[in-house]
Amino acid sequence: MAETRHDRRNDGQHPAFYALLAALIFMSVGPIALMFVNSFKLDVDIISGTSGLLFLPTIQNYQTALCDILWFELEHLDFCALKFGGAFINSLIITLISTVLTLVIGCMAAYALVRFKFMGRDTASLTTLMVRMVPPAVLLVPVFGLWNNEFCIGKETLVGEWIRDTFGGRGDVCLAGTHAGIILIYVAMNLPFVIWILQSFIVQVPRQLEEAARMDGASPYQVFFLVVLPLIKPGLAAAAIFTFRIAWNEYLLASALSDRNTKTVPILIVNNMSEFNVEWGVIMATGMLLAIPPIIFTLLASRQIITGMTAGAVKG
Amino acid sequence: MLRLLKTALAATAGLTISAGALMAGPYDDYAGTTLVVNFPAHPHYNAVMQILPEFTKETGIEVEVDQLPYLKMRERQTLELGQDEGEYDLIAYVVFSKADYVYADQLENLARYFMNPKLADPNYDADDLIDGYVYNIGFAGGNKGYLEGKTGSLFGIPYGSETSILGYRKDIFEKHGLEVPETYDELLEIACKIPELEPGMGGLSSRAASGHHASHAFLLHLAPLGGRIFDDQWNPIVNNEAGLAAANALKTIVDCGPEGAASFGFGEALGSFLNGDTAMFLDTTVVAGQIDDPAKSKVVGKVGWALHPMGVRRGSQTGGFGIGIPKNAENKEAAFLLMQWLTSKTGDKLVALAGGNPSRFSTHADPEVNAKFPHMATFGEALKHADPDWRPIIPVWGKINADLGTTLSKVLTEDLDIQEALDGVADRTRALMDEAGYYTWN
Amino acid sequence: MRTAALNRLTPYVFMAPAAVVMIIALLYPLLYMVYGSFRDWDPSQTISETDFVGFRNYITLFYDPSFRESLSVTLRFAFAVVTVEMVLGVGLALLLDRKIRGMSVLRTLFILPMMIAPVVVGLMWRYMYHPTVGTFNRFLKSLGLDGVDWLGQHALLSVIIADIWQWTPFIFILSLAALQSLPQSALEAARIDGATGWQQIWHIKIPLMMPVLIVTCLLRLIDAFKVLEVILVMTEGGPGLSTEILALRISRTATEFRELGVAAAMSNYLLILLLVLTAAMFGYTKIQEARAARLRAAAEKDV
Repeated sequence: MAETRHDRRNDGQHPAFYALLAALIFMSVGPIALMFVNSFKLDVDIISGTSGLLFLPTIQNYQTALCDILWFELEHLDFCALKFGGAFINSLIITLISTVLTLVIGCMAAYALVRFKFMGRDTASLTTLMVRMVPPAVLLVPVFGLWNNEFCIGKETLVGEWIRDTFGGRGDVCLAGTHAGIILIYVAMNLPFVIWILQSFIVQVPRQLEEAARMDGASPYQVFFLVVLPLIKPGLAAAAIFTFRIAWNEYLLASALSDRNTKTVPILIVNNMSEFNVEWGVIMATGMLLAIPPIIFTLLASRQIITGMTAGAVKG
Repeated sequence: MLRLLKTALAATAGLTISAGALMAGPYDDYAGTTLVVNFPAHPHYNAVMQILPEFTKETGIEVEVDQLPYLKMRERQTLELGQDEGEYDLIAYVVFSKADYVYADQLENLARYFMNPKLADPNYDADDLIDGYVYNIGFAGGNKGYLEGKTGSLFGIPYGSETSILGYRKDIFEKHGLEVPETYDELLEIACKIPELEPGMGGLSSRAASGHHASHAFLLHLAPLGGRIFDDQWNPIVNNEAGLAAANALKTIVDCGPEGAASFGFGEALGSFLNGDTAMFLDTTVVAGQIDDPAKSKVVGKVGWALHPMGVRRGSQTGGFGIGIPKNAENKEAAFLLMQWLTSKTGDKLVALAGGNPSRFSTHADPEVNAKFPHMATFGEALKHADPDWRPIIPVWGKINADLGTTLSKVLTEDLDIQEALDGVADRTRALMDEAGYYTWN
Repeated sequence: MRTAALNRLTPYVFMAPAAVVMIIALLYPLLYMVYGSFRDWDPSQTISETDFVGFRNYITLFYDPSFRESLSVTLRFAFAVVTVEMVLGVGLALLLDRKIRGMSVLRTLFILPMMIAPVVVGLMWRYMYHPTVGTFNRFLKSLGLDGVDWLGQHALLSVIIADIWQWTPFIFILSLAALQSLPQSALEAARIDGATGWQQIWHIKIPLMMPVLIVTCLLRLIDAFKVLEVILVMTEGGPGLSTEILALRISRTATEFRELGVAAAMSNYLLILLLVLTAAMFGYTKIQEARAARLRAAAEKDV
């Protein structure tokens, strides 16, 4: 023990140390691997406990999950109950748009908070910090009420009539049940966090650079877009991944706000844990499909994720 | 199974095409309409999904289905039915939603449609619908507000009628020379004997998870053992001797059940029976299809069916779903046509052949259906003993149900004293009922 | 002249979109919720149709044993996960703070659990905890032991374990980053003075890491009150109310019991609780920071 501590810069470690590492890796990746393996098993195999890797892998679960976007009919299904493809597209639309919006709006605000002195700056800064702690569950009731009843356009108004003529549907045009409604709440929920992370990156941009640009006659907007933005790219990447993660994974608010055409994948998965028939194979397959984009991001951009995570807490 | 269904479909299709060529049909005005319907994710409605294309072919009316788990479905409907103009043209509702929807004036009274000669099919034969279910699921405003009575009228039609039935493993019972239980005493005795006879096997798999599941399991035993939630003056009597016996029965069953039974939802309870981990299953009739499906079940061909055992009386569950037309629907008349088609003799038989739960006497007696599903005769017999007052279908039931369910779950997992638990439920129920105005006339 | 005016407006132009979105979709809803919590509000009503009931929702909740139990479950859950995760996370960081080849791969694998959707985490663990087909009980049985009723009698513990699995890496990564940014001089000095490993950890590393640890702890604590999906999928709050955390109870009250007013009041209680906790932590941080500054000064002086 005493030796290993002293040779911090040495590669030679105690074997027990490697055993610990292996155990940690096994623990963190094991459950995911288990889900991956099970998603290729038939229910009968999962339940009867053909443990380990001794089974005949099948992609039937994935076919069942994706039946609405497959071009051929499936032998083993009477009808297509899971509309995973549609939900996946909804998830993509909502997540991508809300991520882009959050980033644009968020870095502008973060820049203003860091670089300018203006009336209400402290209030704005404090409010941003405070709303970060609001749990989504707390927003459930008011958002449900507002999006369904208050944030509406009457169908007799010009815009309302146009929307109903173009997109169909009935009744007043409300935010609930639309992609826009879900995007709005996701942008609002993620903003405080993004502003907070980006602030710590903007602070590090040397002031001299900006001042030099100003001297050359650039407007504040040009400075922001041409000088500051390129310099905080790592921060933007980190913020983008975190926003993406929250929007992609969120269940509660989406389930309160979406209708049959705007369901996202997490809703579909929870709904599919129907009490009449726990189809483990299909559930694991849908879970895997939902988990794949974040897993890819993690593998590709783990450095940015870690910088993002540590930016606020360690440096801020 | 699919082939048989397809022949049946082809036959009906042939008939209607020849009839349609002769005269302008009742569906002509509505051809091309798209109906948006809200159905639960439930074996019966999965069968319905298979016969809907037939309806479209026959009538030209398109149907778009929004299928949701049934508790989710209720949340969605609460929201949709409250709007001025709703999305849904036809909804399936859980039996206990009847009280809420009718009381809030959100369902169409069906009288106007059955009176309309252009819409009502003269061959519908409403008398063939099983009485108990019509009153339980479709009728409102009668005695106590939810039972048959002179002041009531029809707001929905039962579709997907369930009752409780006892499934047992014929092979296990034979091996140990056990008799199929007729009474509750026998049932409980056998349930606890099986783990001794067959190590590793549970007696009876019952649902018991916190909330709706536990409450449902309790109600299954309450009616046969002579109990009720309320007496005739709406006084909670859930904590009387019969209530105590029902809770004890539930506890015994869970204790002698498979491992982890106290946290079983319906899916887990059924799953353990399908997997051969238990020897008996006492719950709704919808499971028959899955038990005979080799892709899901390891007990195909080993299961026998018997009536829900008797306590002091016969009292099997009345439950399931009804279909009704929301007040704020857009295409009410076309929706009525779909509703009528689905619940007609043809529709009922088609859905039965596709694995659904028929709601007509004639379908239960139908030779073709019986040939395919030999258990249908027993199920029809069980429906006759279904207790229309199995649970109080009143607007505050949701809260009472949730309280009962969580309290019973505590009895099962935390060893809360049963009498104390039920007394608590009764007290809180009384307060709820008082607030809702049930004691105004006392 | 015009450019000057434009320049003075700049910060407001930059702030405006964020301010508009946050006011419309966060602050207004929060006010709306406070307003709604004083009303008898059913989901089928718009808020203008509801009746004012004063503090009735708050009082009902205060005396409601289910709410109290749910509150206690929430607190027990939050403090249990934060404590265990802090100890494990910081401990692992101290152990693994050394130059190892492939450390970045290791960190990548560690953050996987927290990037995955809570819904998926819930279903993974629900499967592993399953009484008969689940991984844990199968493993126990293969050893000849009895299975454990994970989601039955030990539901809260099981839920806590799942959360620890998902979030310990968060604390590990943050503490590791903090450790690696510690001033080397202080550590060198201690080593030269012959401080043992434990002494270094207790007297140098932990105090110097304290500001980061407190922020980390606060972030985790706030997040622990946000947990909902994992528990929803694993147990739906059961058995009994043993895992029904407040967030879940709010959602059930709103959707299942259809009492938006009560749910709003409950949300307010939760917000107040969080405010108090945050304020307490902040106060504590200030005191600690002062102490850490003194310590650092002392450590530098030793050099």
